[in-house]
Amino acid sequence: MTDATVDTERSRATRTVVQRRLRINRIVTSLSWTATGAGLFLLFWILTDLLLKGAGTLSINLFTMNTPPPGSAGGLLNAIIGSMLLTGVGIVIATPVGILAGTFLIEYGRGTKLAEIIRFVNDMLVSAPSIIVGLFVYQVIVAPAHHFSGWAGAVALAIIALPIIVRTTQDMLQLVPDGLREAAYALGAPKWRVIVVVSYRAAFQGILTGVLLAIARISGETAPLLFTALSNPGGSTDMNAPMATLPVVIYKFADTPYHDWQDLAWAGALLITFSVLILNIVARSFAPRTGK
Amino acid sequence: MSTATIEAGHRRRSDHPGRLGNALFGGSAWSFAILVLILLAGVMISLIIAALPAFRTFGIPFIWTSTWNPVKDVYGALSPLYGTLVSSAVAMVIGVPVSLGIAIFLTELCPTYLRRPISTAIELLAAVPSIIFGMWGLFVLAPLMQKYVEPALIATLGKIPLIGILFQGPPYGIGLFTAGVILSAMVLPYMVSIMRDVFETVPPQLRESAYGLGATTWEVIKTVIVPYSRVGVVGAFMLSLGRALGETMAVTFVVGNSYHIKASLLAPGSTIASSLANEFAEADGLQLASLLAEGFLLFVLTFSVIGAARFMLMRLSRKYG
Amino acid sequence: MSETKPHLQPIATDMQTPRDVAEPALEPKIEVKNLDFFYQTGHKALRNINLSIADRCVTAFIGPSGCGKSTLLRVLNRIYDLYPGQRATGEVRLDGENILAANYDLTRLRSKVGMVFQKPTPFPLSIWDNIAFGIQLYEKLSRADLDARIEWALRKAAIWDEVKDKLKRSGMGLSGGQQQRLCIARAIAVKPEVILMDEPCSALDPISTARVEELILELRDDYGIVLVTHNMQQAVRTADFTTFMYLGEIVEFGPTEQIFSNPKEQRTQDYVTGRFG
Repeated sequence: MTDATVDTERSRATRTVVQRRLRINRIVTSLSWTATGAGLFLLFWILTDLLLKGAGTLSINLFTMNTPPPGSAGGLLNAIIGSMLLTGVGIVIATPVGILAGTFLIEYGRGTKLAEIIRFVNDMLVSAPSIIVGLFVYQVIVAPAHHFSGWAGAVALAIIALPIIVRTTQDMLQLVPDGLREAAYALGAPKWRVIVVVSYRAAFQGILTGVLLAIARISGETAPLLFTALSNPGGSTDMNAPMATLPVVIYKFADTPYHDWQDLAWAGALLITFSVLILNIVARSFAPRTGK
Repeated sequence: MSTATIEAGHRRRSDHPGRLGNALFGGSAWSFAILVLILLAGVMISLIIAALPAFRTFGIPFIWTSTWNPVKDVYGALSPLYGTLVSSAVAMVIGVPVSLGIAIFLTELCPTYLRRPISTAIELLAAVPSIIFGMWGLFVLAPLMQKYVEPALIATLGKIPLIGILFQGPPYGIGLFTAGVILSAMVLPYMVSIMRDVFETVPPQLRESAYGLGATTWEVIKTVIVPYSRVGVVGAFMLSLGRALGETMAVTFVVGNSYHIKASLLAPGSTIASSLANEFAEADGLQLASLLAEGFLLFVLTFSVIGAARFMLMRLSRKYG
Repeated sequence: MSETKPHLQPIATDMQTPRDVAEPALEPKIEVKNLDFFYQTGHKALRNINLSIADRCVTAFIGPSGCGKSTLLRVLNRIYDLYPGQRATGEVRLDGENILAANYDLTRLRSKVGMVFQKPTPFPLSIWDNIAFGIQLYEKLSRADLDARIEWALRKAAIWDEVKDKLKRSGMGLSGGQQQRLCIARAIAVKPEVILMDEPCSALDPISTARVEELILELRDDYGIVLVTHNMQQAVRTADFTTFMYLGEIVEFGPTEQIFSNPKEQRTQDYVTGRFG
């Protein structure tokens, strides 16, 4: 065998190996493209379905009439008001608690074991299934009081929002450069002033983003409300009584044989989804560039 | 400026409002931070207390009894437990490769100008509330599964000897499999975003040297990126599993609400979360206690998975700074 | 002798060149006695520092990187207190009182001793609020008085003309040199007695540097200034006294003129002639 033939044989062998590797690569990359396409397709499919099925029921009635019994005309007014009330109260409770807790972790406890433990527990709570929160609030508020209530629902939503706000506050305060704090201390400012005037101001946008994202998250939550605020066919705003909310109404109306109820469920789904998406987009546009 | 004016300017307030402010502020910050710990403890304790009556009546066998009879007042958690585990397993089997594929796409294959819009789109999917997925599953996916997908699966995979058992029976459209599919859609964006973050921790020099040697994209991923970020990837999967296990609204509409355990994935079943959602409002007495006991089991399940995942991710971030 | 020295030329300004300091200061403004400083790791960053800092003068700390000059500066207003684990032993007397004593009021200390940092640190507030922040920590002034004091501080920092029309705009929108002068104004506004400056010009361009140095020479009339600098020419241009430090110790201290033209220690001679650094 001449050298030339050995070379061509060797190069042919290499070529087939390379071709095989390229083939595998091509398969995997096209699978990747497909997966991404599927994911995006799914998103558009759901959103389009929502629009198609929900837009038809959009009318002024939706915002002016309460939920009807099957067969009569009606709207989602009580559910919308209930959702806004419970989300509002929930956020009002969770925001100061969350921001201060996050402040502790960065401004007071940085590096301490306690802060590490709290941070770890908080991260676990962020991922906690919301149904568990609902059960907890049921045990602690609803069962002793022997009735479901708007307050219980708001507390459940607050507990879900809290870890999110703690997390973002932490992350944002960590980004504030120490030089700013030192400059304030050097002027003789007491610690709380340094935090409020300098750290919070500097981290403001990021913290606001966290609160907006938390609002978006809790406005779509259903499970915890099933065990706390339940629902209410009437237009009650009494926080001591069960209260209707959009997600729970959707849950009740969807899996029924009544078409008008199903239509209302779709309309409600449309309302929730688009508010949540808009909140998310607004929140992200606020968010300071973290290099992502 | 004369010395006199400077001396005069040295008048100082002798009181210290700072001290009071510091005490109040610091005190509340500390107490709210401790509240986080109290919350977790509270959840744990309240669920244990809630579960006690059922366990006292039925004992530990509660966990593996499959009866659920409100008439005779005999309850067992096996069926919902089984359903929870199976639907989540289906979700992971579908979700893991798909999310891996999307994460690979976003980090290696995607043109830079598309990167931000596509990742934002995927993240928006994460923002969609779970009840929307549930509704969509009930009205859109379930009929599709019933008419096309499940018959196809029964005709193809159902004929294969071993795994065929999983794909038997009438195509209801609703059932554990459909629930699993919806769950995979739900956890997908979550997995993608964590995995993408984890992939991005790989130092560029490592990737560049692999490409520089002539490796293909797939090879770089297989031999460099995934092994390097292995702990993070597993952590991401475990967090998503935790999410899937506890998911309620996406599953409740499509899982079928049956307490019979069947071998086929296409049969209706129930999950802990779905049984809680369905029966809680009207339950009382021993049934209520059993439901709460199920909730406790779910808590144990999800928090162990999530805790382990967070622990792994914490070690990863400590290792790589 | 002059051939081996780097060519040192003070900026020609119509301010007086570094003063003739034949008249000794009667009572030093700050007196450091046997100061040791330790970082959290236990590393001893300052060893047995003994030093006197005079009032109404500029004292410069020079030395190679890591010699402890910034560390020493940061002891003088106890800003290191923010970092648990860092500690100082010995005495530092400000107007006769030991500021290292546990019961010395830090707020009082920082009202007497101000600081300007290496990187300009304007607060995320308007220019007006930046200055007002410090003032309002100590005094309750009427709106008119506050405006007057803010204008005074900004004038003293030679930045009034540039910002008088944009007092309500964010301090972070100014250029680097302007931000630094804003920080100086902020420090002056609370009427300290001593101003500590930690390499205030190292982040600035040459023109801004020159303006800040002019400012230092003006401020010298009213305040004691302690200046850390890695730029020897800056020390020559602005300082009355210079302290040369190396590896956490003071090697030599004296009138600037003497340190640079006739140093007593060989190490000082080596440093100022550029043989190492």
